[in-house]
Amino acid sequence: MKFKKRKMNTRVKFSVGLLCIGLILALLPLSGGRSFKVKPQQLLSEVLDNNNYFTVDQVAGFIVSEDSTVQIIDLRAPEEFRMVNIPGSINIPYSNFLNTDPVIFLNNEKIRNIFYSNGDIESNYAITISRGLNIKNTYAMKGGLNEWFRTVMNSSFSGEKITVRENALFENRTRAKKMFNEMNSLPDSLRAKFIQTNHLTTKKLDGGCE
Amino acid sequence: MVILKNFRVVILVVIIVLVLILIRSSGIYHFKNNAKRWAEPSFSQANIITPEKVKSLPGNKLIINLDKKMARGIEIDGDSLKISADSILNSNTAKTILRNNGPVLLYSSQPDLTAKIWMILSQMGCKKIYILTDEPYNEILKYKFRPDTLTSNLL
Repeated sequence: MKFKKRKMNTRVKFSVGLLCIGLILALLPLSGGRSFKVKPQQLLSEVLDNNNYFTVDQVAGFIVSEDSTVQIIDLRAPEEFRMVNIPGSINIPYSNFLNTDPVIFLNNEKIRNIFYSNGDIESNYAITISRGLNIKNTYAMKGGLNEWFRTVMNSSFSGEKITVRENALFENRTRAKKMFNEMNSLPDSLRAKFIQTNHLTTKKLDGGCE
Repeated sequence: MVILKNFRVVILVVIIVLVLILIRSSGIYHFKNNAKRWAEPSFSQANIITPEKVKSLPGNKLIINLDKKMARGIEIDGDSLKISADSILNSNTAKTILRNNGPVLLYSSQPDLTAKIWMILSQMGCKKIYILTDEPYNEILKYKFRPDTLTSNLL
């Protein structure tokens, strides 16, 4: 009988304890929303690292070489994206960035996700949010689409001599510019088809002598 | 008294949990819950402010200058703090920023830098924090694309 009473007591104590902790948790202003997982100081040093950026020339290189380890993410509004975009990019408007879990589209660790918008602000918000959520493979295109137009689309060469490096850079820009022009001159319905055709054409041309 | 004595272990556990929760929620060096809520002003660009609009903000203004030099035309009345971005979370600076009663204005000639610092401080619970800029149109496309109709016709 004594043993039964003691056992009962432990159960009651345990139940009261659980009830109290449950009450505390229920009263706390906790929400189901996603929160930053890393420590502020760690996030600060991570986002201030200059390795979080790719230049427009590097991005142009990824597009020209059709690098499959890169996913370019356009953060602008859908109507802006429809008007003009970098070939191969996908549209995730910044205003919707946290509406769904970013991990869904940034989860592949083997892929480098490069954000861009018109300027530098939204892509850097996106980097900070994703790094805060502990998603490491995110980068930004420095200068955004404005820099892309200034450097790639307005690239020209005047003069008599050109170094090998300059020539490679100019060629890269010209190819990216051509792809950008071709892609954005097409109606939306034909864009997907164009990517496929262009992929095959480039392969044939790059074949060379065998 | 007997009940208290009987439940002393339970009371002890509850007190410990309560103290831990209080420490966690009262400290300033951590991110708040619900990242979307704290990032909300950035979705509508309501966090970007020009020197003209700053004058209408109430409260003691705290200007955080992340540059070595303040640009001309940006001078604003209020407390000013010149600090490099990497030391913005040093205990004294963070306390000054997070406990300021009025608006906190972040300034740098590099918009990417202010965007990152804004997001971090906002997620730490800084409510009235703005990016001070004399060029509020950073996110507007300054170029117009002319479709290459010849190429598309050929295709």
